[in-house]
Formats: sequence, structure tokens, C-alpha cells
Amino acid sequence: MERVGLMLCTGCEIGKNLDLKALGDLADEAGAVTTVSHAALCGPEGLAAVRSAMKDENLDGVVIAACSSRAKIEEFRLDGKIAVERVSLREMVAWSHPGNDEDTQMLAEDLVRMGLARAKVVKSADVLDEEIDSSVLVVGGGLAGLSAANTAAGCGREVILVEKETDLGGYLAKVRNIPPQEPPYDAPQVNPVPGLVEQLREHARVQLLTSSKVVSIKGQPGQFDVELETPEGARSLRVGAVIQATGARPYDTDRLEALGGRLDNVISSHELDGMLAAGALERPSDGAAPRRVLFVQCAGSRDPEHLAYCSSDCCLSSLNQVAAIHQLSPDVETTVIYRDMRTPGQTEHFYLAVQDHPTTFLARGEVETVASDGNGALSVRVKNSLLGEDVELAADLVVLAVGMVPESADGEGIRILTDATRKLETGDSDKQREDARKQIEEYARFEGTEILNLDYRQGPDLPVLGSSFPDSHFICFPYETQRTGIYTAGTVRAPMLPARALEDGQGAAFKALQCTAALARGETVHPRSGDTSVPEFSLQRCTQCKRCTEECPFGTLNEDEKGTPQLNALRCRHCGICMGSCPERIVNFAEYSVGGVAAMVKAIEVPEEEDEKPRILALLCENDALPALDAAAERGKKWNPWVRIIPVRCLGACNVIWIADALSGGIDGVIMIGCKSGDDYQCHYIRGSELAAYRLENVQETLDRLVLESERIKVVELAHDEWDRIPAVLDEFAETIEEIGANPYKGF
Amino acid sequence: MAEALQISPSPATRLDLMRRGGDTAGRCYQCATCSSVCSLSTPGIPFPRRQILLTQWGLADQLAADPAVWLCHQCADCTERCPRDARPGDVLQGLRSLVIQTLAFPGLVGRLVGNVRRTWPILFGVPWAFWLLLWAAGVIEVPLGDRLHAYEDFVPHGILYAVFFPVAGWVTLAAGVGGARFWKKMGEGTVRQGSFLAGAWPVLLDVLGHKSFGTCEKVTTRRWAHLALFWGFVGAAVTSGLLIYAIYLAGAEMPLPLGHPIKILGNLSAALLVVGGLLLIVSRFGVHRSLIKTSAFDMFFLSVVALVIATGVIVEVARFVLPTTAAGLLYTMHLGVVLTLFLTFPYSKFAHMLYRTLALVHQRMTATPEEER
Repeated sequence: MERVGLMLCTGCEIGKNLDLKALGDLADEAGAVTTVSHAALCGPEGLAAVRSAMKDENLDGVVIAACSSRAKIEEFRLDGKIAVERVSLREMVAWSHPGNDEDTQMLAEDLVRMGLARAKVVKSADVLDEEIDSSVLVVGGGLAGLSAANTAAGCGREVILVEKETDLGGYLAKVRNIPPQEPPYDAPQVNPVPGLVEQLREHARVQLLTSSKVVSIKGQPGQFDVELETPEGARSLRVGAVIQATGARPYDTDRLEALGGRLDNVISSHELDGMLAAGALERPSDGAAPRRVLFVQCAGSRDPEHLAYCSSDCCLSSLNQVAAIHQLSPDVETTVIYRDMRTPGQTEHFYLAVQDHPTTFLARGEVETVASDGNGALSVRVKNSLLGEDVELAADLVVLAVGMVPESADGEGIRILTDATRKLETGDSDKQREDARKQIEEYARFEGTEILNLDYRQGPDLPVLGSSFPDSHFICFPYETQRTGIYTAGTVRAPMLPARALEDGQGAAFKALQCTAALARGETVHPRSGDTSVPEFSLQRCTQCKRCTEECPFGTLNEDEKGTPQLNALRCRHCGICMGSCPERIVNFAEYSVGGVAAMVKAIEVPEEEDEKPRILALLCENDALPALDAAAERGKKWNPWVRIIPVRCLGACNVIWIADALSGGIDGVIMIGCKSGDDYQCHYIRGSELAAYRLENVQETLDRLVLESERIKVVELAHDEWDRIPAVLDEFAETIEEIGANPYKGF
Repeated sequence: MAEALQISPSPATRLDLMRRGGDTAGRCYQCATCSSVCSLSTPGIPFPRRQILLTQWGLADQLAADPAVWLCHQCADCTERCPRDARPGDVLQGLRSLVIQTLAFPGLVGRLVGNVRRTWPILFGVPWAFWLLLWAAGVIEVPLGDRLHAYEDFVPHGILYAVFFPVAGWVTLAAGVGGARFWKKMGEGTVRQGSFLAGAWPVLLDVLGHKSFGTCEKVTTRRWAHLALFWGFVGAAVTSGLLIYAIYLAGAEMPLPLGHPIKILGNLSAALLVVGGLLLIVSRFGVHRSLIKTSAFDMFFLSVVALVIATGVIVEVARFVLPTTAAGLLYTMHLGVVLTLFLTFPYSKFAHMLYRTLALVHQRMTATPEEER
């Protein structure tokens, strides 16, 4: 930016604790054209002063030196066009350091210098202006999919629903009743699916395609080009967003051999559903009517060897089935052996109602084995029954209440298989071909498992996390996946009851609507919602190393034949991981660039060694670490004044050149604080902290060669709520740096 | 693999219990609220939670051998607090009637009393009919005159002895067999220490004052009602003993004058019985109606007690105010219901006197030092 103005706020204890004149003088040094100072910059008067300076001085950028960038967001957006740089004098200085102190003043001056330096470098972003289609493709016609279609169509969107089976309804198509969802919650309720199907058939904006599947999805959100295979032939269409509601399948009882999974008279809860829907309860071995039916809850669930999670629906399903059995034949004795009976919310009333039936018996215990005497009679051994001894029960029919396995496809797994298959043909050496052969063997189970058939370099389906759920950030953002504009609903994303699947369809539909609406405004979806800047690639310097295409968490980049990245800007969530990954530093955003942050690093004044004032650069993730530090400041926590903080979009969005710049500039240590990693991670961009740690390993090796202590660089993972820990993290790092001593490159 | 307890989870026990007012047992999910509010529960005896678990599993045999079933005073603290309305107090009450029937000797009579909902006309009718038959057959007859001078003129003491001594002997035998069965079942797999008497003494002291009954929080009136009834019956029994002494050893003239000490004791006992009975009725059917369910088994016992007291008091007055035949008829009613009380003692709720005492003594004899209180 050419004409930058410095706006200084003196309120909220900033003016009381700092020498503002000295801060104002920095504007002149840095070549800013004007300085405005006000006791409440965010108030109407203060904002008026800012606006008049913008107009009078014809500013194209402002530095707001006031509160945290997380405060007063609307006020300091100003006209929405001008580049705004926020410097946090309140949280990072005035509230967290002693007032009128030399070190505090130096910190404030550095932060203002850094803000001014970056403001000179950044540009305001152009807003994408693309034609955005707002229609929605729903894949899967079960309860969640039908609900999603109903919601999106209800909001005025065109909806195309694709179901591979001949009937709509998914799992519930074969079920007569579902557990109660309405008052008085004490008896089974009519299955809502047929009514919903009826409603959708009448809907003018909904097309229901059964016996159909997705052949391919090309392009990007707002512009997905979809090829379908239907009984009437191939169809092509364009949609804006996709909702995958492919449901779940029951866990395979054959794998539950100890529980009699392979015995004739041991059936799954889903098989029982079939019998009850047909109105005939009979033993598979001889067709006789069973007198004693025993339900085994958690069959293969909450068990690390099978399904590690609770499917949340089996308890109520079994109660539902007990009620159905009593309706069909009141004299049948039903026993339910459970580990914990989970009947959330008002469904407890249903549990009570079923329990009151005189021939029902529900007991805590763990079924160890189910054995047959050879003539069809079963004996069930139960441990941990509270009776203090193992118990053996006789039964004529055993029902295994099995959990749900998501009907997802592992996009990454399929991609490895595809790549290996190609390598087998094109491989240069025997070794390459041999490795490819091994990989094909290992990944053979992914053959033909595609669902969405996305034309994405990172694979044709949604990446999955542990237990095969295609999640992105399940803690904060349900429905969201690692592909922008593609959402999941229902049991494919998490095990759930029908009531929640219905709600889930609505939630995912709203996300899809929100996405296409944001794209139409040229904005990305959260966590950077409202942001319009997309990465720019200076491809003439690209070396085709493919790091950006591999590391992008959202599959934004495809590759051409040579391996040059091809940006699909509408898929991008603006996290900057590609910018962090690029060794050639050819990826930059208008507002967030390698050069912009490098300018900030260089703006830090490094005192001479004999001043004994070390300097530490802290790169803080703006999603978790920065809010945590803001919260610490709000609560009056103090931390070391040597630390200079630069908020970053993600730890993965940090280019290692900044660390090299810092150390070669005499800064004594660099600490990077980001989100927690792992499968139950909190990183908004999937694996930012992991990428940072992995990249730093290489940097640390370089440090060792330069005879610089590798302890000068550190990555810390920290959760959003650990405000009480983060000041100590900074203080401890400062102590370490003090122990190591000054950076020998100081002064060079 | 260790031996497993073989169970066929038959609902028979539960269905049986339902008849007895314990139909809510199935609702329990073992949260142990009942054990934490029950003043009788100890770490070693998670009462009444475990008993409800055994009920759910239908383990009638284990319940029949379980002394804890008899510890309960049915103060209903647990019923008040149970989050699932499983009404542990009622379940325990039903269980006791089930156990009484299981231990009964002879079993036929046990079942007869256990099915009192249907059999009550027999249980009341046959003993009364017995006295009416004696009357019809001329074995007893009302003397001439306007008023009965003494009931002995109608039913001589010899006949009372001829009836009640053998009946008492039979009842003692039947109760003894039931008690012995219970003592044996309780003893299986446990080691008792000390003598029976040493165990019985503190139990007796507790019973005399109903001390542990006093730990109930909710239904406090029942302690006083029960105490009054208890001492009323003790007084009545002592009165009978003293009467025999007075007649045969002291040669007293019947009927005794109203101011005679034995007469005073008898009337005091009657008063206690009336007060206790009324209190009990007020508690059970009035203020605590929601906390204590009344099954047919309870109703039968209460009716017997109430009728014995009522007819006893009425008969005492009747000879002064009613013609001889009417007073005689009332007297046969009184004798009939007293006979019912005697004959059903080992099988009705009265049997708790026996089983509860045995259970408490057993508990004393098996308790570890820290469980003693």
C-alpha cells in the first residue's frame, strides 16, 4: 500500500500505560502519511475521525493500533475495501504487561512497526466474481437425505436426489415403527419415511432418481458438473453443492463368532426388523415360534476390536423390537442384556414402559458367549451381571444388537490404489513396479468402492478419519467435510437415531445453502467466512514439487500432466497451507503473503547482545492460540515482554523462510503455537500443527549444521480453552532462550 | 471356565410378585439410591438394591435364604426417593409374602393364605363356622336369662383349652418347621459365631423399643403404631397367662371386677391395640397412602388384627347391653377370628415376628465387627 495511516486508540488503558507520542513518531519513520489518535477509536467519534483521515489523505491502507483483531470486527471493517491491519496494543501490551515500563514500551513500538511494515506490503484482495449455481445434489435417499432434499427445496433450491436402491427410505424402508420421538414417548411411533417420500414426490423442485448412481463430479463448489447413470440413461447436470447421506450398514455378525454370529438362531437386529415387518417371528433353524428371545446389546460395539464407538441407536431399537414382539405375541419372554441402557432425553419413558411388561427382563451384564446345543437351543453366558457370579441363560432366539458402519468411501485409500495401478504400468524400474504391486495388494479392498467419483487429485471421495467417518472438524463444525461445498448428513457422518438423522438432513442442507450463497458473494466458508482473498500462484517459477497439491487439506488443487498445480479457487478455504508448503514461495494472498510476514519479522528491532534483551518471535494460530492468549490478557495474566507475536492463519501456513529471516536477523528464538493434532484434533485445517512440526524438523537439522541450538525453535500444541497455560508456555520458552544465550548472528 | 449359575429367566417369580404388589421391580436399574437412603443398608449388605436384582433375575431360592429381606421396616424412604418409581418398599413387602409361602409348612396352607385374594372367605368362614357348628350341635349353648353373666357360661374354659391348646401346639410346630427351614437356608455358606441366646438378647432389646424402626425418615407414625400394637399383643398375652394363673392357682371368681389389676392390664392392652390399630390405618390409608401399597396379603393381616381387636372390645361390652343370643353370636365371631389369627399365624404377615427375629439374630451371629452397631 502506498498511502497508509496509523490510527492509535488511547482508550482501554492503552494511553495510561504507554508513551503514545513515541508510538505516533513511528508512523513518520515508517513513512505513513498521517496519524489519528482517539480515546475511543471504535466509537462513532473515533470512527468518524478515521473515515475523514481516509478521505482527506486518500488512504489505501490503515493500521488500527487498538484492540485485538478478534474485537470490534464490524467497526474496523471500515468501508470493506480498504486494507486494514490490526495491531493489538490492548490485549498484547496494555493488559498483559506492566505500564510505563521500558520493556513494555519497546514491545508496543515493535508491534506498531510490524503493523506498519506489513501494511506497506499487502494489497486489498480482488473479489471473485463467478457464476454460482445454487442447486443441491443429494446422494442417498434415506431419512437424512430425504430431509436434506426437503429442506433445500423448501428454501427454494432445485434438488436432485440420487438413490442406488429401487426404493427410497434406506434402512428405514424396511422398518415398520421407530422409537418414540413425540410425547408421551412411551410407545413406538409410525415410521416417518413413507410420508416424507410422498411429500417429496409432489414437490416441483425435487427430482427423485432411484436405481441411479453418480458417475463423476467435476469442477468446484458452485460449479459442480455431475454425470449420473439412471435407468433412463446417462444424465449431465450442474449443481452448486453436494450432500452425501449414504447412511450406514449393520456391523457384520459373522465377525462376532463368540457371540454366536454364525449360528442359525442368532440373528442381527436388522434381520429381526425384517421378521417383524413381515409379521412372523420364527427361529431360522426350524421355523418354530421362539418362546424365549434374548437381546445382546453392544454386540461388537464399544469394543476396540470391532466398533470402538457407541452407535447410539441400538438400545432404543431393541426396546422398540421388544415392544413389537409383545404386540405380535404377548407371551414371548424377552430378555435384554445390556452394558448400559442408553435412552437419551424423553425416551427414558419408553424404556420404563417396556420394562413394565411382565414378560420382559432387562439386566446389566456382558454376554461372553452364545453357544448352541446342536438342536437349535442356545445358551448364553453372561459375566459382570452384578449378581457376583457368571450366569448362563437359555434362549430359543438370540438377537445381536449390532452397531452402524458408515457407508463411506475412503478417497485417499482409493487414490493410493489408483496411483499404484498406474505406476505398475508406467513404472521406470522393477523396484517401482514391485512396490506398486505390494500397494495394490494392500489396498485391494478399495477397488470399486467409489461413491461420489470426484475429479480431485487427492482422491475420488471424501477423506475419512478414524472409524471411517468422513469428518472434517467434528468438534466445532458438524456436516462439514474436507471438501468445500460437500456436506455429510445422517449416519454416514456419525451414528444416530432417526430423530437426529432428520435434523441432520436439515443442518447439512443449510450448510450447502450457506456455502453457495457465500461463494456467490466471492467469500469462502468458515472459519475464514467473509474472506475474499484467494491464493495466487506465480507458476512460471513452479518446480512441480507437488507439495501444495498434496498438503492442501481441502483438495483445492488439481495437477496438470506435468504436475503443475491448477487452482480451483472455489474449493479453497484460504488457510494458506499451500503458501506455507511452497519452497519457492510462489504462493501468496493479497492480504497475507510470505513477504508481508517477512516484513513484520524484519521490523522487529533487535537490541545488542550487551543490552540483555533477547527477542522471541511467536507465530500464533489465529484460530486457537490467539484467542487463548487474548483470554489470558482479559484475565490479567502477564507474560514475558521479549515476545513479539504475529498471528497466522494456521501453523501450516507458516513459510520456513520466516524462521530463517528471524534467526539470521538476530532474533534469539522462534515459537509456534497451534491447535491440537490427532484424529480428534481441533485444527480447523486438519493438520496444521503436524505440518509445522514436520517442516521444522528439517529446519532444526539445518540449525545444527549452522551450530545454532535446535532448542531455539519450538512447536507447541494448545487448545482454544487453555488460556491459563499459554502465558507459562511463553515464559518457559523465554527462560530456555535465556539459558541458551544470545543468538550469535546478532549484529551481523 | 468357572461354573456358571444356570438360570432360565422365567417370569414366574415376577408374575407371582406382581400379585403381591411388587410389580414395579422390573423398573429398577440399579442406581442404588435406595441403598444410600436406607438406614439399614451397610457396605456389606447393599440393601434393598440386591434383593431387587435377585427378584428381577427370578432367584426365589436365594431370596428365601436372604436375611436382608426381613430387615426392612417398610418405612418407604426408598420408595419416596426411587428415581424410577420402582417402589422398593412395596417390592420387599411382596417378597416377604413370597418367602413366607416358600417356607410354609404344610405348603398347602401356605398357598391358601398366599392366595388370600381368593381364599379369604374360607380363612374367615371356616373357623367361625366351627364355633357355630359347636353351638348347633349343642356342645356350647347360651344360658337362660336376659344377659350373659360371664362368657364362660356360654363357652366353658375347658372347651377353649380343648380347642386352643392343640391349635397353639400345631401352630408352634408349623411355625417351628418354617423357622427351622429358614434358619437352615440362611446358614448355608455362612459361619455363625456365638450362641443363639447371645445373638437374640440385643435383638430382643431392639424389638422392645423398636429402636431401628425409629431411623425411618418418612413414615414416622408407623413406628408408634407398631409399638402400640406390639405392646398391646404382649399385654393381651400376659393377661391370658395371668388369667389362667388367677383362675386355677389363685381361685379367682370370674368375671373379674373392672378394678381388678388383671382386668386393668387387659383393658390397657386393648386400648393400646385400638390406638395402634387406628394409627396404623391412618398412616397406611391416609397420610402415607402414596408410599405404601396395600396388597391383599397385607389387607388380610390388617383385617384379622382389626377384627380381633374390634370384636374383643365389642364382646366385652356386649354382655351388659345385648340379649344372650346376640352376645353369644358376637362371641363366636370373636373366637372365630382369634382362631383364624392362630391358624394363619405361620403363613400370614404375622410370621414376620418369627422370621424377622431369626434374621436379626442370624445377622448378629454373622456380622463382622465393623458391621455391628
